[in-house]
Amino acid sequence: MATEIQEIDLKTDEMIINMGPQHPATHGVLRLLLTLDGETVKHVEPVLGHLHRAQEWQGQNRTWFQYQALIDRVDYLSGMFTSWAMARSCEQIDGTVVPPRAEYLRVMVSEMNRITSHLLWLGTYLIDLGAMFGFPFYPFREREKLFDLFEEIAGQRMMFNYIRIGGVLRDPKPEWFDKLKRFLDEFPDRIDEYETIVTQNPIFLKRTKGVGILTQAVAKDYGVTGPCIRSSGIPLDLRRTKPYSVYPELKFDVITFDKEGDTWDRYMARILEMRQSIEIIRQCIDKLPSGDIMGKKQMAGMRIKAGEGFAAVESPRGILGCYVISGGGEKALRFRWRNPSFCNLSVLHELLKGCPLSDIMAIFGSIDVILPDVDR
Amino acid sequence: MTDEKPSEAEKPEDKKAEAAKPEAAKPEVAKADGAKPADAAKPADAAKPAAPAAAAAPKPAAKAPEPVIPATAGKFEQFLKEHGIPAQRLPLSLEVETIVLSGDVLQAALRLLRNSSEVKLDLLLTISGVDSNDTYDSVYHLWSYSNLDELVIKVLIKKSDVAEGDLPAVPSIANFWSAANWHERETYDLMGIRYANHPYLRRILNPWDWEGYPLRRDYKQLVDCLNDKNPHSMR
Repeated sequence: MATEIQEIDLKTDEMIINMGPQHPATHGVLRLLLTLDGETVKHVEPVLGHLHRAQEWQGQNRTWFQYQALIDRVDYLSGMFTSWAMARSCEQIDGTVVPPRAEYLRVMVSEMNRITSHLLWLGTYLIDLGAMFGFPFYPFREREKLFDLFEEIAGQRMMFNYIRIGGVLRDPKPEWFDKLKRFLDEFPDRIDEYETIVTQNPIFLKRTKGVGILTQAVAKDYGVTGPCIRSSGIPLDLRRTKPYSVYPELKFDVITFDKEGDTWDRYMARILEMRQSIEIIRQCIDKLPSGDIMGKKQMAGMRIKAGEGFAAVESPRGILGCYVISGGGEKALRFRWRNPSFCNLSVLHELLKGCPLSDIMAIFGSIDVILPDVDR
Repeated sequence: MTDEKPSEAEKPEDKKAEAAKPEAAKPEVAKADGAKPADAAKPADAAKPAAPAAAAAPKPAAKAPEPVIPATAGKFEQFLKEHGIPAQRLPLSLEVETIVLSGDVLQAALRLLRNSSEVKLDLLLTISGVDSNDTYDSVYHLWSYSNLDELVIKVLIKKSDVAEGDLPAVPSIANFWSAANWHERETYDLMGIRYANHPYLRRILNPWDWEGYPLRRDYKQLVDCLNDKNPHSMR
């Protein structure tokens, strides 16, 4: 009897499971259609669109002035960058000259925004990995301090609408710079604190080392950008490779690792980027010139010349591009966003192929996808 | 420089006669890079009375080639023409070269642009669908990982060529970049451009049973999706 059982071909069926859309670790609403063989992932199909708000359609049906206020919501964690991409593409068409003080302020607030975005990622990523208690509040503590600074200059904590076409909204008071300096002095110690808890934590290492390896060929094939591709050894950082604004005048290096990046490398790239941003902000404070902060009159009936413009900035998640076609009127003819999250998410099924079920969130979290940025 | 200034100051009325001259002279200025700041400052200071004339001059001759063309301009157009692919450069933007290709040669052109040793445009940034007045455009933004090259490719499909009830068709480039897969799905979803030979062409942002293509200029929402149930839906 026993031999008979051994000869029977035990056929197991693949199972299709829905993960999400209401899943606590999907950072918004993402539905993953998983095809599982036991505990192993065979195939993943992300189903998008639960947060689709027709942002591109709204761009065609709102005036330039109105749409400026709306686009912070495209990627709610890094609103400065979406504003900046739009402002740069419109300035490109219009030929607006941005005053140097405004450019320095733009770099400063954007790098601050990069820090807040990475801090939120760090907190939620640890939740994704199961560190539910305590840790997430460490990065949130510093994030709050930066939000207070944002509130002083923009009037809003997350939806800034601070970078405008032609310049920035408001000139910070001298006290603001003092507060910022005080924050910058204490922040490196805080990063050391996170690293003490996380970087060499044996549980963290076990969950992340060698998990979700992104090879250079796959990264290039799917148009992955940002810390994900830099941790795989491709030095694609627009701030250096295609410098814009005042980045050529600032000293910093592109952070890359000279091997194929796993989940831990992507974590480390973001930690190093936060330290790098501190240095960039410090240089900006030292070099900040005096002068005007706005190069174009801000008004409700603002017009942009007829033409086409494409501008890209290096957002915390990768290359954020904005393609604008203007007919010379009060509204755009076409707005098109190139969202880093959208492109980075498309590589997910390559990363998840063959990994165990429990690694899905470790890998998905490490590519830092923001769902409003995917669905627009 | 010295013979330009008095001629403009003496007879600012002779715009048409003068219009040709600065066009011929300006590329020479652009070449002399060493003396650029000094040269560029001079006409800005001296030519202020003549500035309206200079601004007005390009308008009547808008279809003529641009007066100032950067050194790299037309590079990709030249490159494609050398390999027997008809490409036409658009005078849209001076900073980034924009060329128009027909759909039939898109595959061949991209194979050259992506893989040849001289041009390595291997980063596909985005694919956009645009509803212009009389055409549907599929727009490709290509960058390079190794150098600073940029190129915008447009494939235009005349609305009059699209049969009633049919979608404008463009060959898919998902065989070159997997990144194109989702971008093309999105353009199909929102603009209704059908990408031929796409591996999995279905809606990505809208629900699968959505009707119409929302970013088209003539789009009207048939069903109030919040309050009514779509009668054709099987859900």
